[in-house]
Amino acid sequence: MVVSLLLALPAAAGLWLVSGGRALGVRPARLLTAVTAALTLGLAVAVVVLGAEVDRPWLPELGVRWSFGVDGVSTPLLLLTAGIGLLVALHAWVEVPAGGSPATFLGCLLVVEAGALATFAARDAVLFLVAFEVVLVPMWVLVGRYGDPHDPRARTEAAQRFVLYTAVGSTTMLLGILLLVASAGTADLRALAGGAGLGTGVQLGVAVLLVVGLAVKVPVVPLHTWLPPAHTTAPTAGSVLLAAVLLKMGTYGLVRLPVASVPEGFGVLAPGFAVAGAVGVVWGGLVCLVERDLKRLVAYSSVAHMGFVVLALAAGSQTGLQAALYGNVAHGVVSALLFVLVGGLKHRWGDVDLAVPRPALRETSPRLGFVLVLGLAASLGLPGLAGFWGEVLAVYAAWAPADDRPRVVLVVCAVVAAVGAALAAAYSLRVAGIVWVGDRPDPDVARTPDTSGMERWILAALALAVVVLGVAPMLVMSVTADAVAGVVGAR
Amino acid sequence: MTPWLVVGLPALAAVLGVAVRRDDRLAGAVAVGAAAVTLLLAGIAWGLAGRPTTVSPGPRLRAGELLVPLDLLSDPTRAALATVVVLVALAVQVYSTWYLATDDRYGQFAATVSLFTSAMLLVVHSGDLLLTVVGWEVMGWCSYLLVGHWSRRPSARRAALKAFLVTRVADIGFVLGVVGLAAGAGTTSLAAVLAAWDRPDACVDAALADGSTVGAALTACEAPDARVRALLLVLLVIGVLGKSAQVPFQDWLADAMEGPTPASALIHAATMVAAGTVVLASVYPVFADSPTARWFLGLAVSVTMLLGALLAFAQSDLKRMLAWSTVSQVAVMLAGVAAAPAEAGPDAGLFHLWAHALFKSLLFLAVGWAALAAGGTLAVALRGAAGAAPVLRVAFAAGFLSLAGVPLVVGGQSKEHVLATVWDGAVAVDGPGLLVLVALVLTSAVTAAYSTRGYLVLTVHTRQRPSAGRVPVAVTVVLWLLVGLSVLGGLVVVTGAFRLAPISLLWLLLTTLVVGVGVAVALRGGLDRDPADVLARRLVPVADRGLGADALYRRLVARPVLRLARVVAFVDTEVVDAYVRGSAVATRATGWAGERLHRGERPSAGVGLVLGAVVVLGGLGVVLWS
Repeated sequence: MVVSLLLALPAAAGLWLVSGGRALGVRPARLLTAVTAALTLGLAVAVVVLGAEVDRPWLPELGVRWSFGVDGVSTPLLLLTAGIGLLVALHAWVEVPAGGSPATFLGCLLVVEAGALATFAARDAVLFLVAFEVVLVPMWVLVGRYGDPHDPRARTEAAQRFVLYTAVGSTTMLLGILLLVASAGTADLRALAGGAGLGTGVQLGVAVLLVVGLAVKVPVVPLHTWLPPAHTTAPTAGSVLLAAVLLKMGTYGLVRLPVASVPEGFGVLAPGFAVAGAVGVVWGGLVCLVERDLKRLVAYSSVAHMGFVVLALAAGSQTGLQAALYGNVAHGVVSALLFVLVGGLKHRWGDVDLAVPRPALRETSPRLGFVLVLGLAASLGLPGLAGFWGEVLAVYAAWAPADDRPRVVLVVCAVVAAVGAALAAAYSLRVAGIVWVGDRPDPDVARTPDTSGMERWILAALALAVVVLGVAPMLVMSVTADAVAGVVGAR
Repeated sequence: MTPWLVVGLPALAAVLGVAVRRDDRLAGAVAVGAAAVTLLLAGIAWGLAGRPTTVSPGPRLRAGELLVPLDLLSDPTRAALATVVVLVALAVQVYSTWYLATDDRYGQFAATVSLFTSAMLLVVHSGDLLLTVVGWEVMGWCSYLLVGHWSRRPSARRAALKAFLVTRVADIGFVLGVVGLAAGAGTTSLAAVLAAWDRPDACVDAALADGSTVGAALTACEAPDARVRALLLVLLVIGVLGKSAQVPFQDWLADAMEGPTPASALIHAATMVAAGTVVLASVYPVFADSPTARWFLGLAVSVTMLLGALLAFAQSDLKRMLAWSTVSQVAVMLAGVAAAPAEAGPDAGLFHLWAHALFKSLLFLAVGWAALAAGGTLAVALRGAAGAAPVLRVAFAAGFLSLAGVPLVVGGQSKEHVLATVWDGAVAVDGPGLLVLVALVLTSAVTAAYSTRGYLVLTVHTRQRPSAGRVPVAVTVVLWLLVGLSVLGGLVVVTGAFRLAPISLLWLLLTTLVVGVGVAVALRGGLDRDPADVLARRLVPVADRGLGADALYRRLVARPVLRLARVVAFVDTEVVDAYVRGSAVATRATGWAGERLHRGERPSAGVGLVLGAVVVLGGLGVVLWS
């Protein structure tokens, strides 16, 4: 019951805002959104604490059940989504982008959140797919209508590219899920875990379809080119949701479907997948070294960070899975922090071209500068901040993979990923050197206003989360441990 | 008494310091107070520490198959090192309340120094390789902040970037080495890692005595693969070479002089550059078994110690002279690890760490004061700057005596121990002992020469009374304290904190001789002239540029990587994404073609249909028939 309420509340409020309440003014709309998001977070905590679940027939003709619940794998992501959902709703006090009615904008945010929550709570493969797809349309509206007002053509193109690219991925995944469900005779993810007695050939077919489909969402190099334009164009709240929640749906799907359901098939693909992950780490890092647009740069750094997650998943050990899940959550918080910040800078400056000289943040706006440096430090994997554990454990996992993985390939990937970590330091400090530090500012030049009000609180909350996750990685790892043992042990 | 307290308190002070950073007095009180209390705690912990090593359990992180216990260890050696670290940190904190009194970012500086101290203490007490990595990387980050503290200066920004990137590139090796060692044990616990990679000597010897072949004996005893172990240790050593500014990573440290002098004192004396010695000492039982790793380290430190000493001699800037002397002295510490015989252990190197921390912090703090009085750190500007205060004359005398390795003062004692240990290692043949020994003797002479030069320039040459304004009593007290310790610090050997073999008087004579040669060479131009002008005039411009290593880094690493990055960015948009754009174009073209087909006149459409059917049927026929 609580689970259904958790999903219904943001969905209902969001749908009303985009339909009946479309004409609502900014103030009532954002108040409604914030209250809904806060209640949703409360419900999410309740669901996790109570271990609430729901399971009843939904489409009996297809054997699809209305089955939602959480376990160790989904708990951190559910809480992350609800938390980010609240912050995104509160961000409406900072900035509501032009482009249409504010109520529609806020409603779309809530619908995205509802879809993501449903994705993480779904215990039925078909339900998972439906929830996965629900997110696309509101996200398309967010990018296409409320995106960067400076360039309508780029906005339309980015939105279309996002929808079409990820829809192609979802279609591939749909085929995979249909093949899986048809051959296994059940769509229940719990029953599917461990291979459900499928032969190797079928497993391989299913795994190929699922991995390729989900890799688009993660995104795995070379299927990543939809991400930078979408991020660059999307409004701040949209970028945050995209990086912190939508990408996580991809990795979560990888854990739930190919890794858990068709382990043998996934095992065959794992070496190639690991290579793609390691290449992603270096690829993203290298592009970041020369990228001029700060928002695009953060997007490419996401590609690099997700490369670590992919590599850890491919390693096939419990450590790898733990590293992947932890890295997922860590990247969610860190990228949310960076996108709120960079979105704020874009709002202040009009663009975030790194080639344009600007007064150094450390001189003009020390609070903003502090958070930026914290975010960059987390991004380069500084211990004590969120990024570190996921990445160092990913390298470990690749160095000591599961027995059935080709050791040499994965060790090489570990080395490549470690090199990528040094690249992360290079591009993070490149940004710090351009944006954070600089000469004493000219008193005649306009100063960048420092963060204040709601934006300050949002940044403070995210910064705190980055530190807490970094200092106490056990918070996440102890939650995921049993479920991870279940997923890997079931093989 | 748990070491967690010693490690945690400065970390707490850092957090608190960031919170109160806008109020200089409060920030200073937090920083100095925390350092003083930590020193007290570290002292008590040292008093209580005993052998064997005690384990303070950590929070235990279970990451799937890998166990990360996050334990801390304490024994008298670690406690002594922790104490000297905190002592230097306290001196630096007290000194910077004066030195940076007018700095608008003093609060951040003090908090960063606290964090730096905590990270170093973590490395010293770490009983878990991953915890070592944590302290190691946090120190690197703090060095970025401290070196770049005066970030309004482009040179400071560049130096900070360089310091972090060079060490981080070397850390690729460090992280992989740690990961590999941990993978062999299934845990990052130091004790378990050592046990897993140790050569089971007793078992192997027994098997050999029974007449089995070496290979069979190793297999029977499940000995770890020696080649893998050597590779991992070499990777670890690469990381150490980076952080300790050894060849080929040496060039970041001299540029790091762009940081405020107290930061240099901290980085050079007790933290960061010395951390590598601590780490290698903690894995010593395994390291000692691997001749490959020993040779690798021995070669690097032999080159470094001599090169560093020669460059130090020819610097036109005395602060950079101290920086190059650090490079050389850290190599001496590492020599005590690289070339020590297995049964002697790494304690001679650690003792030199202890000694170096005392006299190098003294020298840096004194030079900072003298430079304020003289208005610059160039040797020309600093002539006779010690006249600014009586304590400076004594400080330079004690500091340079120790640095030169004159017997009986702490620096001389520790260097004799390193020499004696390396001699034992050279006699035992297996390892780089002989090479290191030769380098060590030559370095000692050059060190004595540049110490003489520093002392001459700062103290003997006279000038009109320089003044650094009013200096608080606390700073003077700190310097006197360090002077006392730089002379008498060697008494630490009686506490048994370092397990050192007694050494013969012969070594005392030998070091006296070597130092004498160095001093004599330096004095060839008389007392009134700068020895560098007399002996190495041509070398000075080259040495000031660090032999052009910076250009080499740029040409060999930075530029190729950037070039590759440009290629990758191009491929990303023009090749990878071209397929995506291509598919859009193809879809549109297909749509257009379909539309045309449907709009077209019936006969042509009919012909097209018939043709299509023929092709399909033909194809089917071929497939079925074959």
